[in-house]
Amino acid sequence: MATLSLKHIGKIYDNDVQAVQDFNLDVRDGELIVLVGPSGCGKSTTLRMVAGLEDISEGQLLLDGKDITRMAPKDRDMAMVFQNYALYGHMTIYENMAFSLTLRREDPNVIHKKVLAAAEILGLTEQLNKKPAQLSGGQRQRVAMGRAIVRNPKVFLFDEPLSNLDAKLRGATRREIMLLHKRLGATMMYVTHDQTEALTLADRIVCMSMGRVQQVGTPLELYETPANLFVAGFIGLPPMNVFSVRVDGDELTAPDLRVPLTPGEKDLLKGYAGREIVLGVRPEDMASGGDVTMRVVNNENLGMNTLVHGTTGSGSANGRKITAKLKGWHDHRAGDEVTLSFTRKHFFDPDTTNAIRKGEPQ
Amino acid sequence: MTGTAEEREIRLDRMRYVKNTASSRLCYLAIIFDVLYFVKIYQSDVGSWYYRILVGGSIIYNLLFMLVTFLASEGVKNYKAGYSKVLYILGVLQACRIFILPVSAHSALVKVGGEQLQAMDDAKFVFVIICLALSAVCLIAAAEINRRKCAALAEHAGRTDEAKEAA
Repeated sequence: MATLSLKHIGKIYDNDVQAVQDFNLDVRDGELIVLVGPSGCGKSTTLRMVAGLEDISEGQLLLDGKDITRMAPKDRDMAMVFQNYALYGHMTIYENMAFSLTLRREDPNVIHKKVLAAAEILGLTEQLNKKPAQLSGGQRQRVAMGRAIVRNPKVFLFDEPLSNLDAKLRGATRREIMLLHKRLGATMMYVTHDQTEALTLADRIVCMSMGRVQQVGTPLELYETPANLFVAGFIGLPPMNVFSVRVDGDELTAPDLRVPLTPGEKDLLKGYAGREIVLGVRPEDMASGGDVTMRVVNNENLGMNTLVHGTTGSGSANGRKITAKLKGWHDHRAGDEVTLSFTRKHFFDPDTTNAIRKGEPQ
Repeated sequence: MTGTAEEREIRLDRMRYVKNTASSRLCYLAIIFDVLYFVKIYQSDVGSWYYRILVGGSIIYNLLFMLVTFLASEGVKNYKAGYSKVLYILGVLQACRIFILPVSAHSALVKVGGEQLQAMDDAKFVFVIICLALSAVCLIAAAEINRRKCAALAEHAGRTDEAKEAA
């Protein structure tokens, strides 16, 4: 187990593209950190820099306080699990798992013990004599994890390990990774673009966009108190509804939209009186009945909930798209008018896109 | 086997997952020695002595030998006990071959341009004998190693199955 510190890490490619800028993070001992963000945001590049597969252009990388910025990947004592498994097709599962230790010329009996122990953890004991081609995608990914486990590294690195799996298998393998983390108590860094994986697996999430860290926090912190509009829109499914509104006394107004403010919200927004702000409302923070009118475009029943898509107002040209996730089964038809109330609101500064918080300069 | 009882047990258990590379490599080595043998033999060009049915049979046998030995090497790699018998037979045949073509070529005298020559000189004779002998030794060693490992693995598997059933 180990601590990992990334200090002002940056990556500039030969063509002057800056993939990662000023990345700062302290990964605690035994913590599972998930880097999440859209494609091209620099999360995989960051992970590869940690693994040593990419040179670090600027900044410092410390493992247990020791500078490993320029250290060769093989000397870093980290194991990486790739999206495409990277297994040797001509070797059996046993040989694949034992390979890295064989290269290190470890005692074959010790290798045997470690491989069997890892196979036991991952439920692969019956598959050890098979070739990778004879296994399912989920099993192959478990073999890739097993290969990492036998090395007993200080840090585990996962680069979108579930992306090649179908939805059902992804869920099952995700739970296995979760259990594995609990069992091993190892320090792990995990890259994904799937927010569900991030929210379910992470001790802390690093949300990235355009090579920059947007927010670091627990899954709940990112969901409940997004630092800016990007995080607010990225975390949560369906994404948060955002509206440009004016702070107008006791309410927020926009063409076709009038949203009353609670005393607390009014107090929070007093510095924005008469100014435009961005209002964010999660679909699940809406309830039937209230001051907001919505014209239904389509209705998706999910069993426990109903997703209602539509536009604000009574269907005028100014109406903005809105999605509500209402509890229970609703049978709205296209063109129906529905009233909604917002049970929880998020406010963002339109210039900085940062969340408006109490006590922060406005 | 050396080491503590636990080490011996682990070594046996490893055989369930690790191939019998010792035997299969010895088979490959036997093929290499056989190739060296026939390359040396077929290089010979002393009158017309070598243009005979014995050499034709030798060529066909070499092809069959390489094919069967390669197949057997795959078999012993996976601890198939039956291939030990095949390898024993091949090994004995390789040893017997010393007394067929090499001996008859070494003892034969050929008249070339009014001069009496040995169909196979002493140096070449020694070389091909060594090649065939080494090939035979490799095959018999591969067979013996495979036989012992198969027996040990079968005994270990029996014990583990019994232990599992008891549990």
